[in-house]
Amino acid sequence: MVKDLMTRLDKPFELFEVSIRKASDEDLVDISRDMALSLSPDEMKTIREYFQKEGRDPTDIELQSLGQAWSEHCCYKSSKAILKEFVFGIGRDDVLSRGDAGVMVFDDDHGYALRIESHNHPSAVEPYGGAATGIGGILRDVVCMGAQPIALADPLCFGYPDRKGDLPPGTKHPRYLMSGVVSGIRDYGNRVGIPTITGGMFFDERYTGNCLVNVACLGLVKRADLARNCAGGPGEVMVLIGGRTGRDGIHGVNFASRELTETSDEDSRGSVQLGDPITKEPVMHACFEVNAKHLITGMKDLGGGGLSCVVGEMALEAGCGADVNLEKVPLKESGLAPWEIWVSESQERMMCTCKPENLENVLAVFDAWDVLATPVAMTTDTKRTRIFWYGEQIFEMDQSFLTAGPLYHRPYTAPVVSSIENERVPRLPDDRAIILKLLSDPNVASKEWAIRQYDHEVRAATVVHPMVGEMNETGPGDASVLRPVPSSMKGLAAAIGCNPWFTALDPYNGGMSSVDEAWRNVVAVGAMPNALTDCLNFGNPEKPERLGEFREAVRGIGDFAKALNIPIPSGNVSLYNEAPGGASALPTPMMLCCGIIDDISKAVTADFKKPGSRIYVIGKTREELGGSLLYRVFGGRQGAVPAVDVNNVRELTGKVLKAMDGRLISGCHDCSDGGIAVAVAEMCISGQMGAVLDLRKAADMSPRKVLYSESNTRWIAEVSEENAEEFEKIMGGSAHNIGKTGGNSLKLMDSGAIIEVEEMRKAWNDPIWKIMGGQS
Amino acid sequence: MKEVRVCVLRIEGTNCEDEMADAFSTVGAVPEKVHLKQMERNAPSGLARSLEDYDILALPGGFSAGDYVRAGAIFAARIRSLMGPQLKRFVESGKPVLGVCNGFQILVELGLLPAMEGAMSEVPTAALYTNDSGRFECRPTVLRNDDRGKCIFASEIPKGGLVMFPSAHAEGKLMSNDPDFVSKLEDNGQIVFRYVNPDGSKAVYPWNPNGSPSDIAGICNPAGNVMGMMPHPERVMTRFTRPDWTRNPGPEEGDGMMIFRSVMENLK
Repeated sequence: MVKDLMTRLDKPFELFEVSIRKASDEDLVDISRDMALSLSPDEMKTIREYFQKEGRDPTDIELQSLGQAWSEHCCYKSSKAILKEFVFGIGRDDVLSRGDAGVMVFDDDHGYALRIESHNHPSAVEPYGGAATGIGGILRDVVCMGAQPIALADPLCFGYPDRKGDLPPGTKHPRYLMSGVVSGIRDYGNRVGIPTITGGMFFDERYTGNCLVNVACLGLVKRADLARNCAGGPGEVMVLIGGRTGRDGIHGVNFASRELTETSDEDSRGSVQLGDPITKEPVMHACFEVNAKHLITGMKDLGGGGLSCVVGEMALEAGCGADVNLEKVPLKESGLAPWEIWVSESQERMMCTCKPENLENVLAVFDAWDVLATPVAMTTDTKRTRIFWYGEQIFEMDQSFLTAGPLYHRPYTAPVVSSIENERVPRLPDDRAIILKLLSDPNVASKEWAIRQYDHEVRAATVVHPMVGEMNETGPGDASVLRPVPSSMKGLAAAIGCNPWFTALDPYNGGMSSVDEAWRNVVAVGAMPNALTDCLNFGNPEKPERLGEFREAVRGIGDFAKALNIPIPSGNVSLYNEAPGGASALPTPMMLCCGIIDDISKAVTADFKKPGSRIYVIGKTREELGGSLLYRVFGGRQGAVPAVDVNNVRELTGKVLKAMDGRLISGCHDCSDGGIAVAVAEMCISGQMGAVLDLRKAADMSPRKVLYSESNTRWIAEVSEENAEEFEKIMGGSAHNIGKTGGNSLKLMDSGAIIEVEEMRKAWNDPIWKIMGGQS
Repeated sequence: MKEVRVCVLRIEGTNCEDEMADAFSTVGAVPEKVHLKQMERNAPSGLARSLEDYDILALPGGFSAGDYVRAGAIFAARIRSLMGPQLKRFVESGKPVLGVCNGFQILVELGLLPAMEGAMSEVPTAALYTNDSGRFECRPTVLRNDDRGKCIFASEIPKGGLVMFPSAHAEGKLMSNDPDFVSKLEDNGQIVFRYVNPDGSKAVYPWNPNGSPSDIAGICNPAGNVMGMMPHPERVMTRFTRPDWTRNPGPEEGDGMMIFRSVMENLK
């Protein structure tokens, strides 16, 4: 009985001592479970050894602190070795920081920050609050670099929103989740005044039991004001900023580090934090002010693990210890036990460190913004963390033991990949029916229902919008582009890329394809890809086949990034994405690519601009239909998953950008889901213009395969007749003329199919509006 | 010409103050972002400000205090209690006041708009209701200048001319209990902007994004020095923030410039 091992100490507050030194191995398991530590038996044994050496038993707050710091969410214990092997350390001298957010050089005076992370499990239980606090958290990661957030991007994965039939036990309907998540992002993002400029929605039955909510943020920082995320040294004051601390969000990191269960809703709702954008907004202003005035030495946000993680990490990085006066922490309600205060993940909190002589000035700035700021700790030269409660010590541990956490090389099995030998081509209707069906698949269909609920223009810097074409008659774009410094024409492009279906069939090529998609989206608007950040959503790493998928996908991402020498200065791993009952969500390596365009007046959008232009496909089309939208919709099996030729990526990127720099391309769209067919159809929809296609010369295979293959590193380009010669000269055989713009319908010479643009617009525009309600 | 000082007033949740200040800078004014707290009598020296020191007051967009009550209601109540009489004097002296989006909602809550009788009514006489769609709508909107010569923010826009200012709001439908509200606004010459279709014809959704009666997008007070509007002129100071600039050639300058240039001309 764990009860027998726990002794309430004779104090005027709630504090237990846990007799871990005499606990049996079975007792250890019980302790971990009953205290909701989510620690493994081996981890508990390591802790027992530590306290045997210390010659005393731990308090509840010490064990809770270890439970936080050693969670998968906080210390990446299962993924770190793999990340190290494949993706860490792609160095380039324009990486300014690899802190809580990565920071890259933007221009001589500015850097831009980028970071993506997941808020999957909280959103599965409480979609509105889970998504909103996801936005809050990612904003803080950018703010603590000293960077003004300038954009949000939110790729989301759900089961089909029009799903019929019984749901797995403990699961909420995808339509409800989607509605709640979009509302949460809208209400937080719009209120805090940061534009949501791009994102993505992915639908598959395998997300029904475990939806994915990934949130990304970009920021802009003066290079002189780039902040550090740790203390400057011993003898500094740690000042807790912003929201009060309460019981919301206790054990959030542990919830994120295990599978969802049938009863997650009841068990874990208390793990979901409550967001408050109107507290956040002045917190951001005040943090920028103390940072720009160089009054502080470091800044870090309170996210997973709350105080327990931020105090240790800020001190450890600086080679210090910390003495904490826990009773000083401002509370939402009285009666919290010390351990609850220590691990609570209440929102809208930041920590900064400053020299004692600057404290008064720091507090004055926060006061001017009506923001709560309280000195709660001092850094020391001991390398130990000590916590006091009204002067009485209740916690003392080595920083290195507490914060470093375990590191695993878990067993994995190599995945069996999809092949062309086992390919089963589905029975297909005529091209007209195929194209209309693909356009209305929720993965392709218009996301305008969500996009227009997000303010994507606040801050007045959005120069390429998420939807392009004629106003209020738009189609899908590729990357969005910001002009973050108003006095300069330089632009920052951002796009999401991910193909979970490729990744499920062939994780290595799926990882590579996901990067390729994000990359080519950025190139499609005329920007040179500059940096990546990734959110790797995978299954339970304790299952060898799940970890094998993860490893292969990471290897693919790393091979692409290394070959193209593109840094990944930040990232996030989310494991244990499994539905109640153990069905794994699709392996989802969500990539965000940022690019730089020197002159935004040269940016290109996807909509067809005028009749009589030539249509080219840039890049080679291969027989790669494995995992394609065509196969998913019509029931094909296996097949070759598109691969990436990294040299080809480098060469074609150079050519496309050169042509765009010469203003030779008037419309450009990347080829992804649905291949050439869907890409051209979308350009027709946004341009309100027809096209005639003749694919017979485009590749050495049947026109049908050419139409729907999803080979990577391809773009559709619209080039006016007068620019064609110069364009072809630059392309040197990498582009094939496949048709002409004009008329009111898309005509396929090969099959004789004719589809009116209006009909395609309807097929593409209506499905999600119909499911979610409303009209465009 | 004397320096034109602009007070861009904010509280927590105001979030369009940077672009509002930039817009005024573009036309040569000297904007300052001022937190309402700085208007308090006991504000720390160095931070304290007074409304009289400014030539223009601008209320930018956002979600002041979260807009958890009625949009703009909390900010308006705080302004009224802190500096109601000063604000009234500011308006009566003919100084310009601009409210955009949440700023428009605040002006209505303050009683500075429509203000058919006196500069500032004791209680609000109109309100901005939830959009007919029930959703937040971020989309381009085309406006026709219907001002009859009163509004000092519209003088540089040709009469009947069309401009594109984007909208981004959930509550933009201007309503009143007065059944003759629209015709009174019309009679007083207070209607400045109406939503229209891109060809200038009567707007249908989504070109009227909120269902506002008579497609009203912006109004001024009877004196013409206070204007509130839902769409955002400060977001289109260059053509490059228009959503369709890559397909429709046009001058480098954005439509929004005309609003800010108008008020500067009127202060000359």
